[in-house]
This record gives sequence, structure tokens and C-alpha cells, in this order.
Amino acid sequence: MVNRTELENKVIPYKILLETLQNTYDLVDSILLDNTIPSLKIGLKYLIQNIEANIEKAGDGLPVVGHHFAFQSEYLDCFDVVPICIEGTSYILSALLPDGVEKYYDLMRNWGHPFHTCSSQKGVMGMTLDDLFRFDAIICPTAPCDNTMASYPYFKYQADVPMVLPDMPFIHKEKSFKYYAKQIKKGLEDLGKIIGQKPDWDELKKHLEIDNKSINTQLEIFELKKAIPCPVENFYNAMSAAVTIFMAGKEEKVKYYDEMLESAKNNYRKKKHHGGEEKIRCIFPYMLIFFDLGLCEWLDRELGMSILFDIFNYNFTKPIRTTDSLDTMFYDMARKGMEFPMMKQSTDFYYNFIDDCVNMAKEFKSDCFIFTMHIGCKQFGSVVQVLREALRDETGIPVLMLDLDVGDKRMTSMKVLRDKISLFAQTLL
Amino acid sequence: MSLTNDKFLNISNSIKNSYLDEWKNNKKKVLGYYCTYIPEELFYAAGFLPYRIRATGHELDELADIYMVRFTCGFVRLTLDLALRGGYDFLDGLFITNCCDHARRMYELYDLVVFKRKEIKQKPPQFYVALPHVINEDGFEWYLDEIKLLKEQIEQEYTLKEIDNSQLKEAIKIYNENRSLLREIYNLRTLDNPKLTGSEFLQISMANTSVPKEIANNELRRILEIIKNSKDLSNNRKRIMLVGSVVDNINFTKLVEDSGAIIVSDFLCFGERNILDDVDLNGDLLENIAKRTYYRMSCPRMMDDHKKRYDFLLKEIERAKVDGVILQRINNCDLHGCENMLLEHELKDLGIPSLNIDREAFLTDTTRLQTRIEAFYEMIK
Ligand code: SF4
Ligand code: SF4
Repeated sequence: MVNRTELENKVIPYKILLETLQNTYDLVDSILLDNTIPSLKIGLKYLIQNIEANIEKAGDGLPVVGHHFAFQSEYLDCFDVVPICIEGTSYILSALLPDGVEKYYDLMRNWGHPFHTCSSQKGVMGMTLDDLFRFDAIICPTAPCDNTMASYPYFKYQADVPMVLPDMPFIHKEKSFKYYAKQIKKGLEDLGKIIGQKPDWDELKKHLEIDNKSINTQLEIFELKKAIPCPVENFYNAMSAAVTIFMAGKEEKVKYYDEMLESAKNNYRKKKHHGGEEKIRCIFPYMLIFFDLGLCEWLDRELGMSILFDIFNYNFTKPIRTTDSLDTMFYDMARKGMEFPMMKQSTDFYYNFIDDCVNMAKEFKSDCFIFTMHIGCKQFGSVVQVLREALRDETGIPVLMLDLDVGDKRMTSMKVLRDKISLFAQTLL
Repeated sequence: MSLTNDKFLNISNSIKNSYLDEWKNNKKKVLGYYCTYIPEELFYAAGFLPYRIRATGHELDELADIYMVRFTCGFVRLTLDLALRGGYDFLDGLFITNCCDHARRMYELYDLVVFKRKEIKQKPPQFYVALPHVINEDGFEWYLDEIKLLKEQIEQEYTLKEIDNSQLKEAIKIYNENRSLLREIYNLRTLDNPKLTGSEFLQISMANTSVPKEIANNELRRILEIIKNSKDLSNNRKRIMLVGSVVDNINFTKLVEDSGAIIVSDFLCFGERNILDDVDLNGDLLENIAKRTYYRMSCPRMMDDHKKRYDFLLKEIERAKVDGVILQRINNCDLHGCENMLLEHELKDLGIPSLNIDREAFLTDTTRLQTRIEAFYEMIK
């Protein structure tokens, strides 16, 4: 008979993650005064609950389903499974562990995964090679990038994991949403056949409705960021990315945003800036640096630089209609999937991305942009200069580009990155 | 008779050629494209010369540096650099598909930068087709719809009248014949005593994408005769299959061959993969064109088709009596980099010697490559 521990060992990195989250929470709880970094404390509390619940489910023997971050975990709520976000797991561990997941990057590199291929997949690929994850199935949309397309076949061919690939088309047109809606539905049905469960659309509906509840709250927080000083600390952006990835469709996500809205309103009323004084307002149009989330605090406190938002915090979609037909629901799910952070920009020409950046710069009175040019994201490799020119012409604000691997500190020295940002900040003051 | 200094092969050494000039002098249009996933017959039927963009011989990338970060594909960067220097100003249009992340973004860069240069009097139209990343019926339905929309766009912007069935039929015939001739030539590489080198085939194939197909067909017939009547090449060289990123320069194939080998087979954009399948002349011709383009032997941009590619490789290894496989990628090419990773392990499991290397688009690191390649040949002795 298989025992619980053995079953839980299908998701060993989640156990590591839980332990790390708990240690961090204890540290935060004992060192930081109440509400010093609210997003950190609130987020950690709910993340722990979420990871605990998933380990529990693994122990119950439920199928372990890996999913790409752009196949939102709430879509898997039509099953009784343990959802493991492949990219999210690599990066949250790279943020929390002292040496990140470097060991697993190296395992994969030695196995032949090219150095320039995205570390977000490389981490969990390495963990799978080391037999730390045992997936029963994987579901992945065919987007947003070559890395996704090229790396996922590894799971099928090396680790023999059955794979479902809903095809996400390029270009945002009416027909694209219809096509992808069909792909999601069929993908879930195919996944059900692999894991021996029938998708429960009512259960899915319930979780979509839960997820809908946080959309307005997120938008309210987004609006509050127009205020000077920005009433939300930089770390909120990082935690929101984790919450979006790990807690989609869960009440914990709703609670996180509710509590964060309260905190933001409080600061807004008191005109309080997290770092003391807001000197520079900055937009990260792309990702944060996951291996050094301490950067968020450093920017707030040392430079007085607010990160108004990163890519996970300015892409919002309309609530999914759950009370009409199933077709409407899947259509909205497709739309949400294609407008998910990074998917939106990668599955279309970059004209809209540039327009959005220019408009946000104006509306949020941003002083500058910092573009983290992640080595994996080749689809963004030709946008930075065009964006720079558009921002210069339309708003007069500058862009600092940082070449790096957002998940691997060994590619670029953090000191050099911070020095670059400091020098850039000086030119703005 | 030999192929040395043959005028058709020499076309591959330069970006432009006299046939292209003549075509333009006759007020006919040239359409640039990056990826072999193009319904070429449709454009040809509309009166275009589809020209595959390459950067053969170009070794500068300072201008590309401004608009493309350094960790994008060197091949695409070279073409961007050349485009910014006016190297492709003869193009009257551009076709892009979402083949890889690097090449597909050239759509915006041509639109916002290359075609905005003051040298360009009138901005050429651009065409785009969204290609699925999986191969199945739903995907084909999507793709066919895209091809129908493309046809309408060509008719509205270029031909100003319908592209009819007789034009499609004529184009298909010419293209089928072209592929058939290339296959015949290709097969002369796989013989026990090959008749031509991999570098020569690459030159033929590149030249073939740079001239009108009627002319290419005449030239290929002529070349076929030359090759058939030429002496066998020495058979005591290592028989290599070359796989991976685009090769648009014989400097690299020469490096592989000059170290004591001959490339008898390949899995490359300018190679066999592109000439395997023909378009059916019966039934709905537009649909048949779409079918060939979509269902043809895929490249790693198709996410669910690795097994078919691998099986094909094994068949080729047997057919061409391959001694060893060189898997190569241009640095930063994630698609071929990961595909090569899988192939390396799969070939190793079968005991088939393989070498997995990375390289720059234009050869800056010849000594390193040569050492590794020679060591590989030693190993497969
Ligand atoms: S971070 Fe970039 S390269 Fe990596 S998976 Fe996401 S989009 Fe692809
Ligand atoms: S070599 Fe790779 S990255 Fe470069 S154009 Fe070809 S597929 Fe794209």
C-alpha cells in the first residue's frame, strides 16, 4: 500500500517551498513591526495555506497536474487535482532560497538545455530530472514564447508525462477567442481522460466566480496608484504575481486583495509613502527581478522610487460571464487567457503594448521605465528601443534596460544592477 | 563538367542577382519572407517572386544592435542590419509568419523602422499569417481560414482582381516540378558514392529561393545533367547529417566538410525538409496549398511533432548511411537548441554518434568549431 509520505513525495519541491514560506513568515512576524510590509505578511499567510492544502491533496493521492503559468490554475478546478505551476514554482523558489534553484538549472544545462533558454521552465525541468516532481499530466498552451514551445516537449519525451496542448493563436481577433475557447474546453476534456476524471463545469463556474470577485478590488488598487505618493509598497507587485499564479480561483486571493485595498486606502488617506518620501515614479513594463525581490524594498527606502506596477499588475480582464451559456463562459476564459500578463503582449503585434505603456506613463505620471530584458523572452528582444523612442517622443521620459536572467543571479551581478539603477535615478533627480 | 563557379550556384553568394534585376526591370514585384511556412504558390500565382531573406556574406550587426538585443538570433540580427543598410530595398512586400520569436518580430521592425527610412519612397505592404503550433484538424481549419484571408488581402492590395484557379494551377505545377528536381539532385547526395557535396546543395537551394521558379527549373535541369555526368566524389569521407538552425552560408558547411567529411543528408530550412511534399493538383487548389504548408514535415516550432521529426531523422540516417549527426544551433535559438537536446539523448540511446554544437550566425569561432568537429570525426572512426 502506498503511504501518505510517498504520495506527498510526488511534490517534494512544494514541501521545500512550504518550509521556506513558513520560515520567512516567522522571520517577518518576529522582526517586522506590524504592517511594515503588509503585502509580504498577508501574502505569505495565504500562500502557506495554499501550498499546505496542495501537499495535503497530494498525500490523498490526487493526480499531480503541471500547468504553464498562462493556463490559469482556476481552470483546473473542474478536477480534483494538485495543480503545480511550472514557471511559478521555479521562480518563487528562486526568490526564497539563498541560492535559488541554481542546482536544478545546472542539472538541466548539463543535460543539454541551452543557457539562453528560459530559467522559468529550466528550474522545474531540473527538479523533474532529479525525480522531485512526478507529474501525472501536464497542460500547456502553445504560447507565449519559443521557450514554452521548445522546453515542454522535454517532459513528454524524457519524463514520459502525458501532455495536453491547447493551441493559443497569434493575434487578438474575435475568431482567435472562439478558437482558443474550443481549445481550452477540449484540452480539459482530454486532460480528464488522462487522469480518469470528468471535468465538472459547475465546480469550474464556482471558482471562476470566486476569481471574478477580486477583479474590481485589483482595479481599485490600480487606480489608487495614480495618487502621489503611491500608496502601495513596491513589494505588493511581487506578491500579487505569486497570488495571481498560485491562488487563482481561491478565496485566499480575494482576501489578499481585500486586505491590500484596505492598506492602500489607509496610506492614501494619510498621503503615506512606504519608503518615507516618494522621489521617483517608475513603471516596470515587464517582470520584476525574481531572484532579488529585496530590490523592491531597496527602491522604496533607498531611492524613494515607487514601482507603480510590473507586467503582472497592469493587465486586467473583464469578469468571466458564468450565468449565460457554457460557450460564453469558455469564450471569456479564452479572452482572459489571451489577455493574461505576457500572453497579451506575446500573442499580438507589439503596437498595443507600446500604446499602453505611453498611456500609462501619462496617466500615472511616471518619471521613467525600467525594462528587465530577460534572456528567455526573445519575443521582447526587439521592442525595447522602439518603446524607448515612443516614450521619448510622446512623454519625454527615459527607459533603463537591464540585461539579465530574472531567475538566475549568476548571469548579472546584482550589485552592478543596483549601481545602474542608482546612476539612472541620479539622472532623474 | 563540374559545379565549381557555376553561375547558378554563385547566385547564392550574393543577396541580389541578375534574374532578380530583370524581373524588377519588367515592373514585376518581389516579396520577401523569412520562414519556409509560406504558401509560396499563392504569391507566385499573384505574380510575385517570393524571395527568401538571407544575410549571406553580411557580417555587420552594429545597426541591428540598436533595435534588437544581443540575445536574439544572430541570423535575424544580420538580416535586420542589412535591411537597415538598404540591402533589401528591392522588396515590394513582406510576408511574415509566427515561425519563431525572433523572425516574427521582424514584422514590426520592418513596419516601424526599416520601411520608415527616408530611402523608402512608398511603404511596401506587409502580410501576416498566424500559424498554429500544433498539427491537427482544428489547427488546419484555422490555418485554411488564414490563407483565404491572405488571398483576399493580396487581391485587394496587389492584383486588384481575383487570383483564379488556372493561375493557382500553373503556380502549383511549377513549384511541384521545382521540388521534384531538387529531390532528384538531393538524392544524388545520399548515394554510396555521392555526386555532390552538402555545400553545393546548399548553394543550389539558396539560389533556388532567389530567382523566379521557371528560371530555377531550367537551371536545375541543366545542373542535374552536370551532376549526373560528373565523377563520383571520394567515398572515404565521414558521412554526416547536418541538423538544426538555419544555415545561409557555405562557410559553415565547408568547415564541416573540409575536415574530412561530406554532408549526405540534412534537416535544415534550406534543405530536404522543405522539398519533401508536393501540392495536390486535384480538388480545391487553395486548400491543397494550405494542406502542404501546414501538414508538411515540421520544424521545432510545431510543439507536438517531435516524434515525427525524430522518426524521419532515423529513416534518413539509414537511407543515407550516415556515420554521424551534427546537431547545431545558432546561439539564442531556443527552438533548435531544445530540439537538439532531445535528439542528442535519443541518438545516444541508439548508439548513433552525434555532436551537439552552438555557433554564431557568421563564423567568428572557426577554430573552436573545427577542433570539436575534428574530434568528433576521430570518435566515429
Ligand atoms: S519568462 Fe519569457 S521566456 Fe520565460 S516562459 Fe515567460 S515569456 Fe517565455
Ligand atoms: S535559427 Fe532559430 S532563432 Fe534563428 S530564425 Fe531560425 S528558428 Fe529562428
